[in-house]
Amino acid sequence: MVNVLITNLPYLLRGAVMTLWLALAVVTLGTLLGTGLGILATGRSRIVRAAITVYIFVLRGIPVLVVMFLGYYAFPALGFRVNAYVAVGVAQIVYVGAFTAEIVRSAILSVHPGQIAAAKSLGMRRGAILREVILPQATCIAIPPLLNNALTAVKQTAYASVVGAWELTYAAREIVERTLASFQIFLGVMAIYFAICYPLSLLARWYEKRLVVSH
Amino acid sequence: MSEYLAQTAVLLASLWPKLVAGFVLTVEIAAAAAPLALVFGLVLLAPRMDARAFVSGPTVAFIELMRNTPLLVQIYLIYFGLPVLGFYPSEFTCGVAGIALQHGAFLVETYRGAIESVSTRQWDAARAIGMGRFTAFRHVILPQALMKILGPLGNQLIVLAKDTSLVSAIGVMELTMTGKLAIERSAASAEVFVAIALFYLAMTTAIGGAVRLLEYRVAERT
Amino acid sequence: MAMIEITDLHKSFGANDVLKGVSFAVERGEVVVVLGPSGSGKSTLLRCINLLEDWQAGDIRIDGESVGYFDGGRRRAWPEAKAAKVREQVGLVFQSFNLFPHRTALENVMMGPLHVRRMAKPEARKLAGDLLEKVGLADKADQYPATLSGGQQQRVAIARALAMQPKVMLFDEVTSALDPELVGEVLIVMRRLAEEGMTMIIVTHEIHFARDVSDRIIFMDAGAIVEQGPPAQVLASPASERLKLFLRRYQGDYLAV
Repeated sequence: MVNVLITNLPYLLRGAVMTLWLALAVVTLGTLLGTGLGILATGRSRIVRAAITVYIFVLRGIPVLVVMFLGYYAFPALGFRVNAYVAVGVAQIVYVGAFTAEIVRSAILSVHPGQIAAAKSLGMRRGAILREVILPQATCIAIPPLLNNALTAVKQTAYASVVGAWELTYAAREIVERTLASFQIFLGVMAIYFAICYPLSLLARWYEKRLVVSH
Repeated sequence: MSEYLAQTAVLLASLWPKLVAGFVLTVEIAAAAAPLALVFGLVLLAPRMDARAFVSGPTVAFIELMRNTPLLVQIYLIYFGLPVLGFYPSEFTCGVAGIALQHGAFLVETYRGAIESVSTRQWDAARAIGMGRFTAFRHVILPQALMKILGPLGNQLIVLAKDTSLVSAIGVMELTMTGKLAIERSAASAEVFVAIALFYLAMTTAIGGAVRLLEYRVAERT
Repeated sequence: MAMIEITDLHKSFGANDVLKGVSFAVERGEVVVVLGPSGSGKSTLLRCINLLEDWQAGDIRIDGESVGYFDGGRRRAWPEAKAAKVREQVGLVFQSFNLFPHRTALENVMMGPLHVRRMAKPEARKLAGDLLEKVGLADKADQYPATLSGGQQQRVAIARALAMQPKVMLFDEVTSALDPELVGEVLIVMRRLAEEGMTMIIVTHEIHFARDVSDRIIFMDAGAIVEQGPPAQVLASPASERLKLFLRRYQGDYLAV
């Protein structure tokens, strides 16, 4: 019974590797994008702040699958011929970026205004205040939600299979359609995702506890 | 420009009935899954907080499994797996079940967080005036936990509403699937996307607004 | 030439008029205490002087230079960078200390010299160390604010402000948030600063301290200066009804109305 799973394991593991690559790219680039936007969202330009707010609002209100479809159809429509991974990857990066931007903005705004007043009173300018006072503290606050965000992003790579990108879930469906051993294969796949995600989950929770203790 | 708008209007008008039908189905999935998830979360709450390891252990294991695997795979498991056991539920049912299971598991943690975040001093105060543990829970802890839960609950519901789009993967003609087909058949992908996005935004904004209104009302009375 | 010269200052938050034409001057080396009920605009006044707040009308001059606005025919607020330069010369100590929690006491004091004056690290460290010793906290240099008492935190905050070697020091109710037994240690530091000749504007409720240390007392109420003069005179024989009432309240007559 478990034989089906074992014989197909190499294929599934290759799928898992693809998932990991996708996840790595999306999480790193998405978090970088979001952090930059989150910092800009606390800046002085009202237009920039408004634009980022709209971006966050729209992307947080629609399903990631829709954004992936958008990526899939938008690139050719604009004249670019990219493979499914790039299309799906860029879509996810933009999506993760929106959530990250909200987390980062929130963390920056949660630094006590009294400290910013104190830093200004010493004659510090915005750059120094951001670097020495705001970001060290905001980073600490932002890490647990960012880790949770990363966890969600990793799980979302599975949805790329719906749009036609080959990764672990796509591979699983291929095998199930061939062998009809749905339970074994999907449970096995769940186990693989669990192995990837659970450590991230634990990391996020460990960091949360550390934060509570230090306050 | 007006030529473009006219063409778009005609296109959207022809697609409108289908899009609305898809949206209605999306709402139906969410409306079916949400109460199930809320109840399922409550059902799991007691075993989760039980002091005995053989009760809380398996519950935690189940919750962790739900939280660390993609919803899509869970839906596939149900959809492709149940026929093997002899059950043939509809795609709709599979989707609703999958969503309810995963979100129920997430909700347990939300419930737990809210209850534990009500300060222990409230327990002290209640017991100090002579309330028993159950009475204290019912009249002092629970109302406060309910207030703290509204925010996270609202967010969870918004995620649930968006997760309905996954059910398109098993062929349900909800909004995302309808949109996808419409795009494949027509040439106006951008316009259809905007339409779909607006539908979803309407739904998620409505949920967000309703929750905020509820929070406001509850806060007024406390 | 006075160190600080304020002329007809008007400030409102929206429809709320907080400062209604405040004018006074502070000479070099003078210690001025500002008394008044809450809401009288004392904090806002200090925050205007160090450009943390802007104002609608009036002029503020620090060491002869008019600050905060360009007035070439039209009033225009100064850009942040220019305002920051002014703040280097005006030290402000807050009621809620506002120490940087992620830095040690020594690092807090070093913040200004390092990142504004661009001092070399060893030099900044020595300056900070000397200042901490001056406020009596040399042994707490490597502690984080969370482990220090309120009085200790406030003394670190004073050292931090002094590290910028300002021309004027402003104190905004710096002992109001402290437990009574911790107030003394902060007042001692402030008194020593006054004796060394620092120009100081102190907003406080500590009337005894005001009588002992200040050269002049200004009494504000509802956004305007009601009375001012030498402490002995103002406190012993207040001229205005409002000051009489205020003093009675503070002398323990909590039912005075």
